[in-house]
Amino acid sequence: MSMHRRVSTLVALVLASVSAAPAFAQGTVVLPIADAKARQAVEREIAQAAAKGLPTQPLVSKAMEGVTKQATGEQIQVAVASKAKRLEQARALLAPSPSVAELTSGADALDVGVPASMLKQIRAAWPATQSVAMPLDVLTELVARGIPAKLALVQITNLMARGATPSQIAALGSSVQADIASGLPPDAALEVRARGVMSLLPSPAAAASLAPTRTGPPR
Amino acid sequence: MRRRAALGGLLVSAAAQVAAAQSLPELRLDVGYAGVRQQALGPSDPEQATDAALIALFWRRPAERWEFLTSANLTYTRDSLAAAQGVAAFAFPWLGSEHLRTDVGAAGATFSLRSAGRGGNGNVFARQHYVRDQWGTWLGAASAISSRDGTRSRAFAGDLGAWTRWRFLYGSASYSRSSSTDRPLLITSGATVSPFAIGYEIEDAQLVLEARNGPHQIGVSWVTRRLVAGGDLSERALLASVSVQMTDRVSVLLGAGKQLFDPLRGLPSADLVTAALRVSLGPKTLPVMQRSALSQATVTRLAGGGGRLEVRVLASDTVHVEVAGDFSDWKPLPLEREGSFWVARAELPRGKYHVGVRLRQGSWRAPRNLARVRDDYGGDSGLVVIP
Repeated sequence: MSMHRRVSTLVALVLASVSAAPAFAQGTVVLPIADAKARQAVEREIAQAAAKGLPTQPLVSKAMEGVTKQATGEQIQVAVASKAKRLEQARALLAPSPSVAELTSGADALDVGVPASMLKQIRAAWPATQSVAMPLDVLTELVARGIPAKLALVQITNLMARGATPSQIAALGSSVQADIASGLPPDAALEVRARGVMSLLPSPAAAASLAPTRTGPPR
Repeated sequence: MRRRAALGGLLVSAAAQVAAAQSLPELRLDVGYAGVRQQALGPSDPEQATDAALIALFWRRPAERWEFLTSANLTYTRDSLAAAQGVAAFAFPWLGSEHLRTDVGAAGATFSLRSAGRGGNGNVFARQHYVRDQWGTWLGAASAISSRDGTRSRAFAGDLGAWTRWRFLYGSASYSRSSSTDRPLLITSGATVSPFAIGYEIEDAQLVLEARNGPHQIGVSWVTRRLVAGGDLSERALLASVSVQMTDRVSVLLGAGKQLFDPLRGLPSADLVTAALRVSLGPKTLPVMQRSALSQATVTRLAGGGGRLEVRVLASDTVHVEVAGDFSDWKPLPLEREGSFWVARAELPRGKYHVGVRLRQGSWRAPRNLARVRDDYGGDSGLVVIP
């Protein structure tokens, strides 16, 4: 099989499985949880989330993760309920109108131990029309790498205040990852890389003057 | 003599404290064992080895512009000692300069040592750092007061040094000069002491070399010391240490070698063998562990946005390897054989994804180079952000 064909096959598999997700959420496809009682409880949890206006795809994905990892029905039920609770919490913290991607990112940030107040700080750092999903994702990744949440937040919000693009913020995370892989302590890697990205950005005053023009579709 | 083992135990706790101060988590407990041997002072006082138990607690609180850290150590040997030592320090960068950082702090200890009396020690220190990306220098000074069986002594020290880092290697070289009036300490450390001198002066040259792979670390420290006033002493010491992370909350620390006496802390020389467990107690776990499975995930940015995720696993061609993640709704995907690797690639839109890999239908693991997050199912997943 050629490399191109292999890639195409994988992409097709990925797309097929992702597109199948909403079907689970709508209850048209039964979740493959062996324990019927647990399956019904999970489906009920997902339906309740949908009724509250929460995205159901992350919940279906969490349930499918449990199935793949051969978790018990009870474990899956607890994990899905917990994820729904974090999504709800993220919605309140990222008000007024977080996108699905922002909610998912916010819930994952809470998952790794990012304090709730930091979600608010991230949200406040950019206009409400601009998605903060990427800053939240990078914050989550840095905290998961062992960097103190406060330190990571300071660096990310500094970049946001200086007008960094989501790609530049994402690049911070991947650069830190490369440095850690080469043996640099996580907090030192963040400090060094944030300084590098910062040097490419306008001064805070200039960034402030640019802020009203910064727009972008929420993810 | 067992009494001197107690002094060695204090040395061990001091070393643990320094090691703890160099790593990241906010609340940690070190519990371990030390085998301590101290040199003979003469034919009537032979060299003797003794066991010691040690415990150290470390807490660190980073803030936006400064960092506060504190630690406390307790060392106990079977017959002679309960000793406690604490240190508190601030580290803060200078406003307006990202290359300058200052450490200031204070430490104190209380001890009951048959070989060198009962009493306590207090010291203050300051150290100015100049820090660049891959190298740095420092200049420091410290002052101490010790009380030993009611007799007070003072010590002063200054040091300067430089460090550099290249890939996974870290090295430093430093020079220090110390003066002290703590003559009993010098005597218990085996030096020939001038009967007319009130105090003494020593100079040390130290080289440190460390290799780091994620949270795992191996290091060697070599010191050469000369007594330049107040007596006669010339000695060298080599101390090796290894830190291996077992889980995200537990590490094993091993050390062996010789530690020279410390006039600032009032601690005598000893040969040491130590073994300790480090447990993370706080909400934050230890730094991300490098796992033994040779799997790796990389992201290549695509011109039109999003990126290509590539997962490579080094394993025999007879091994069944699978990759899954939220990008596939956790449906396991097969990997293809490329040389010595199993490889999967997927083009994904911008966002954050969880990734897991498993071999031989075993447990799902995070690719070794990714950040790890708990999965609510007793395991973990790797986290990757597509820019």
